[in-house]
Amino acid sequence: MFQSGELTLKRQKDSIRHLARNPLQFSLALIIGLSLVLFIVVPIIYVLARSLGAAEGVITLEYFQNFFDRSYYYRALSNSLILAFTVTSIVVTLCFMYAYLVARMHSRLIATILRSIAMVPLLAPPFIFSISLITLGGRRGLISQLLASLFGIEFSIYGWTGVILAQIIGLFPLGFMMLENVLRSMDLNLEEASSDMGAGQWKTLLGITIPLVMPGILKAGLLVFIKSIADFATPMVIGGGLPFLATDAYLLVVGQHNMEMAAVLATFLVLPTMIIFFIQNYVLTDKTRTTISGQSGVTSQIKMHRSIRGIFTVSSILSAILIVLAFGVIFWSAFVVIPGVNNTFTLDHFSTRTGWSAMGTSLQIAAISAFIVAFLGVIQAYLNVRMKIYGSRIMEYIALFGMGVPGTVVGIGYILAFNQPPLHLTGTMTIIIISMVLRHLGVGLEAGISKLHQIGINMEEASWDMGASKVLTFFRVVLPLMGSSFMYGFIYTFMCAMTSISAAIFLVYPGTTLGAVYILQVAEQGAISRAAAMALVLISIVALCLFTLTKLISRTHLARM
Amino acid sequence: MSEEPILQVKDVVKKFGPVTALSGVSIDVHRGEIVCFLGPSGCGKTTLLRVIGGFYSQDRGDTYLDGKLINGIPPEKRDTVMFFQNYALFPHMNVYENVTYGLKVRKYRKAEMAEKAREILTMIQLDGMEGRYPNQLSGGQQQRVALARALILNPKLLLLDEPLSNLDANLRAYMRDEIIKIREKLNLTIIFVTHDQEEAISIADKIAVMREGDIEQIGTPLHIYRYPASIYVADFLGSANFLDAEVINTDDKGNSEINTNIGKMKINLTMNKFKPGDRGKAILRPENIKVSLNEPADKSSKGNVLEAEILKGTYLGATIMYEVKIDNEVLTVEIRNPKENELLAPGDQVYLQIPENIHLIEEDESKNTASQ
Ligand SMILES: Nc1ncnc2c1ncn2[C@@H]1O[C@H](COP(=O)(O)OP(=O)(O)OP(=O)(O)O)[C@@H](O)[C@H]1O
Ligand SMILES: [Mg+2]
Repeated sequence: MFQSGELTLKRQKDSIRHLARNPLQFSLALIIGLSLVLFIVVPIIYVLARSLGAAEGVITLEYFQNFFDRSYYYRALSNSLILAFTVTSIVVTLCFMYAYLVARMHSRLIATILRSIAMVPLLAPPFIFSISLITLGGRRGLISQLLASLFGIEFSIYGWTGVILAQIIGLFPLGFMMLENVLRSMDLNLEEASSDMGAGQWKTLLGITIPLVMPGILKAGLLVFIKSIADFATPMVIGGGLPFLATDAYLLVVGQHNMEMAAVLATFLVLPTMIIFFIQNYVLTDKTRTTISGQSGVTSQIKMHRSIRGIFTVSSILSAILIVLAFGVIFWSAFVVIPGVNNTFTLDHFSTRTGWSAMGTSLQIAAISAFIVAFLGVIQAYLNVRMKIYGSRIMEYIALFGMGVPGTVVGIGYILAFNQPPLHLTGTMTIIIISMVLRHLGVGLEAGISKLHQIGINMEEASWDMGASKVLTFFRVVLPLMGSSFMYGFIYTFMCAMTSISAAIFLVYPGTTLGAVYILQVAEQGAISRAAAMALVLISIVALCLFTLTKLISRTHLARM
Repeated sequence: MSEEPILQVKDVVKKFGPVTALSGVSIDVHRGEIVCFLGPSGCGKTTLLRVIGGFYSQDRGDTYLDGKLINGIPPEKRDTVMFFQNYALFPHMNVYENVTYGLKVRKYRKAEMAEKAREILTMIQLDGMEGRYPNQLSGGQQQRVALARALILNPKLLLLDEPLSNLDANLRAYMRDEIIKIREKLNLTIIFVTHDQEEAISIADKIAVMREGDIEQIGTPLHIYRYPASIYVADFLGSANFLDAEVINTDDKGNSEINTNIGKMKINLTMNKFKPGDRGKAILRPENIKVSLNEPADKSSKGNVLEAEILKGTYLGATIMYEVKIDNEVLTVEIRNPKENELLAPGDQVYLQIPENIHLIEEDESKNTASQ
């Protein structure tokens, strides 16, 4: 990112003059800017306005009053906060140990295996793990039956245990990725210097490593927190009727059409994102410590202390087992008649026309959205970095903010904003694609920006120097060089679009449903095996596409960039 | 050796997968010495230093510190301190906290810690900077903090990995003197890694020239410069002319005659034992060859006198490098402190005086290094 002081008044004037001379850039910037405002800012304003009674044309706090009067909604708020705090602390702790072990491990093979296990939940919609947990610990679940027959204990996974466990599994990859990243980018010489001067490894871990990666830990924590609070599907499947903000907002819209109260809940949902976004951009940037080093160090070969290795290994193995088990159970339930009751092999659960057609729709929507995100990301990044267009920084902020807004809020906002003229879009595939695109544009943009900074401007200058116009240079030089960031944006968006559910569930319309939405619906009706079967299909599709794309990348010149 | 070496490395092998970084290195370091590991990039200097510091464990061989076997002992339990190539200052601690870190983990009392810190910070002229963070210091200051942090622990062995490589020329000379002074004051034993031969010669008591994971030769700078064991070593420490040579005769005092491409020469073979008929490489340092326009008066007292023709002169300020031709051989000759009227032009006929103390390297050692 560039410095904030860079956009001086003079530059603003220059860039306006510059834009006026370049109609193509001008219209592109205008289109992207308008879409960002229209599809991210406007829906949220609609939600906020509705919660304040905008439908009746007056401003009133009546609905907020209702919210706090009704202990049910109030409890939803506190439950959501408790859940998010609990899950965040557990996920960050587990992921730190896991990531530390993977990052500092000598064996490449084991590290790769552990990393793959940690990342595997990304392939599936996060609520999937509730399905496995129900198979294990539901009323007729394997573990429940075992406990009942052995000890006469009545065990049920529904409620807090289930929600927390399912979210831990679902959010594990997010925490792991971020923490592994910061742990790997840390200068290992610092740890070595510490032990060289006599500090034991615990002392080094607590006094050097953790303080140094703290910004990363906080960032991971914030992301996990937002995701946990925004997740409405897990509590719906396995929450056992406990009130949670996101879940109840959904139920208010779908069940009661009570848009005012839904808007109030949505307001509470979007607040943490806003606060956290602020913290991340103004509190956590720059002032965080950068390591001071001329040359980067070599990899450490110091053996981990026995007690650290012991504790971290045990916890990481447990995490890995939990993830593998969750996946294994889905696999198993997909192929038996009733898991735990009638374990006969069957393929029945796979024969559902609605399910398969939903998968097809998902695939279509995901591919289109991913392409648009990747393409727009490259263009917007170019406009931001090279053209220094006035307002590009604000556009970047909106795009990043759009990624953090809970899908439930986006969904409610879209229903409110786009169900009447001038923009009547509900009930079309377009709006689903728009929601997917706008909610992931930030990733394509960030990938593009960092790639452009990495490339440097020299190559483009060389091209201009040799007489190519800016447009030609963009297509001939910039675009090919940005191939890897394009692919990154594409893959990320594709995976998210295939597995995401929260905004989409508000926007599907009769006759058209998405894969993830379909799975949630059958799971909610208790058809666990069908849900598992279709989840397996979804996972396979995502994994297959991912595999093909990465193979494709490594085959082509993109791998070298 | 009167005294037991403070560090003994015996036949250490270290592999990284298929790469053999150290292939059976042995070296002794004595108390109070500055030993320099010198060699080109990738020859294993850092690896050897890190094995000694305990950051890598060797695949084979033993290391002893003060007579005790230290194989497998982690760095925090070794009385060695490493000065990292990139300083490795803790960015979240200020200068004082960085410098006293080692004392703190050793549970020193506050007052004692402050006392020691003041002493060391004064010594390296960092007093008054205690509250600053590393990113508020200049490169040279960061380096001195890193040095203070290592020195305060008064280690048995200080390990320095290219400590001067990131500095500009002035600061480098300054830090070099500083290290020598501090070492005298504290009577430290230091191992110092560099790939800069001048640095090595000016600081070290002993230089260990490394090559492809092994020590090729170890000795005082003077000895190594004067009597390199191989062409590789001779080339790495300064420039040299190499001549194919065959020993014609030799007496028991070492006074000998050799035959080279540029004719017969008298030399004094004290270092190596050669027999007539042995082949080798004669090493002529450019600055040991004298040039004069007129034939020296008393030829026999001036070593070997040969006629030559100037091909090219390059003026380098304090010196002039000439390329001169004798028969078909081209030699490099260096004239120090040239006078204005001594500049020679291409085509000038000159006389070269080559002293008798030419060093001769045995053929089999120079065979595979000819390309170096
Ligand atoms: N951690 C490591 N993993 C794999 N190979 C390594 C590692 N450290 C060093 N090597 C290899 O071992 C050899 C010796 O490396 P070393 O760092 O000791 O060289 P060096 O002499 O210090 O070089 P330089 O002057 O460039 O610092 C090199 O071939 C290097 O690639
Ligand atoms: Mg090195």
